[in-house]
Formats: sequence, structure tokens, C-alpha cells
Amino acid sequence: MPDDALGRPYSVPARREPVLPNGVLGMLLFVATEVMFFSGLISAFVIGKSNALGGWPPPGQPRLPIEETALNTAALLASGVLLYLANRAFRAQKAVTKRLLAIAIALGGFFVVFQGAEWVALLREGLTVTSGQLGGFFYLLVGTHAIHVVAGFIILLYTYRKLAHGDLDRFTFWPAQIFWYFVVGVWPVLYWQVYL
Amino acid sequence: MMGVIRVCVIAAGVGAAWASNLAYACPSCTSPLEENRQAFVDTTIFLTVVPLLMIGSFIWWIRRRSREIDAVPEIAVPETLLNDAGRFSKGR
Repeated sequence: MPDDALGRPYSVPARREPVLPNGVLGMLLFVATEVMFFSGLISAFVIGKSNALGGWPPPGQPRLPIEETALNTAALLASGVLLYLANRAFRAQKAVTKRLLAIAIALGGFFVVFQGAEWVALLREGLTVTSGQLGGFFYLLVGTHAIHVVAGFIILLYTYRKLAHGDLDRFTFWPAQIFWYFVVGVWPVLYWQVYL
Repeated sequence: MMGVIRVCVIAAGVGAAWASNLAYACPSCTSPLEENRQAFVDTTIFLTVVPLLMIGSFIWWIRRRSREIDAVPEIAVPETLLNDAGRFSKGR
């Protein structure tokens, strides 16, 4: 076996980057279950919608704010793109990563606040969980997604804190990204099915 | 004796499969609304395809990443340096 410059033997075999880090595998499995969970919810909604007599949305129910939510959708999608760019800058430009991650988190926060304001307005208009099929499905689907956005927001804040302390490695950053991409990716499907 | 048990198990399986037609567990299948029946078919296809797509994508991604890592030349690291190995120690 060859020695190093100081004559010490290379006693350790070559170390390679793991193909699938534990954190990434764990998050991928979790996200896979979440995808099936949301697929089940969306399927139930599609069947329920197709079964509604008198058309959809049901007559006499408040209309969902399509245009305002389109803006909110754009904000969430933008946060996903910024997170992707933050990952690309991670190795070489930590300052850029920090800035991009901060904006992505802010956009995620904006989405949650906007969603909350929308819910308050809809509740005032009389759309509640028990007001009908539309209300029941709306709060179930959008509410479940909102919980995930809040969880993702907290995970990104934790990631940002680690980055700010210079303690963030790639294999901690990846799972956080996977979860946020899932949250961002599932929303357009919900928007298309529930709002449009 | 084993032959009789086997025949009974097969007969029970066939009987259960035949009897399940009577259960009508799928409310959409007998719906008078064409849109409702179609929605049931669409969502069944969707729920079948999604897990297969996820598993397929996962295998594809693992193969791609494995090839990427194989393409990088191995570097032997002296044990004395491992404690301060930086990117090698925590995958940075």
C-alpha cells in the first residue's frame, strides 16, 4: 500500500459519497406516502364533485377566489424555483444561497398568511366545513396542504439557521428541499382541481 | 387429506370471488351519472399509475446517481486526516 508524504500508510480505504444518504431516503419514503395520501384525497374529491347534483360548484355556495389564489400560487412556485437556485449556489456561493433561501422562506410565509386571510374571508361569506360538500372538501384538501406548508416553512427556517451558523451540509439541505418541492408541486394540482 | 384441503381452499377462493359481485362495494359503479362512473375509472387509473411512476422514477434516479458517483475517481484518505476531512467527513 502506498504511503503519504510523511510516510504514514494509507490504512483507510477510499471513501465515496453515498448514493443515497439516509436523510434523503427517509424523506423520499415519507414524501411517497404523502403523495399517495394526497392522491387519495384528490380522487375522493373528483368522485364527489362528479356526483354532485346541480353542477359544481354547488349553487348557493360562495365562489372561491380564483384570481387572488393564482397570485398566491405564483408566489409558492417562485419559492420553489428560488430554493432550486439556492441549492445550485450552495457549493460555491454561500452568501447567494443564504439570500435566495431567505426569499424562498419569505414567499412561503406569504403563501400561508395569504391563505389564512382567504379562509377568514370565506368563513365570513358562510363557507364552513359543515356548510356543504364544497366547504367540507375545500377545508380538508386546502387545510391539509396548509399544514404541510407550515411544516415545510419550519423545516426551511431550521435549514436557514444551520446555514447562517455555517453548519449546513448538503445531506441536510436535500431532505428539506425534497419536502418543499413536494409542497410546491402538489399545490398546482389542488388549485386546478379545487379552484378552477 | 392434503388434496381435500387444497380443493376446499380453491373452492372457497372461487366462491368468495363470485360472491363479491353481490356486495356492490363500489357506489360509483352503479351510478346513473355517466360523469360519476367515468370519474371512478379515471381515479382508479390515477391511483394505480402514481405509485408505479414513483417507483420507476426512484429506480431511474438511483441508477443515474450511481453512475455519476462511479464516474468520479476514488481518493484514498490517510486515517490521520479523517478527523478533519471536511467534505469527506460529512458529505459537504
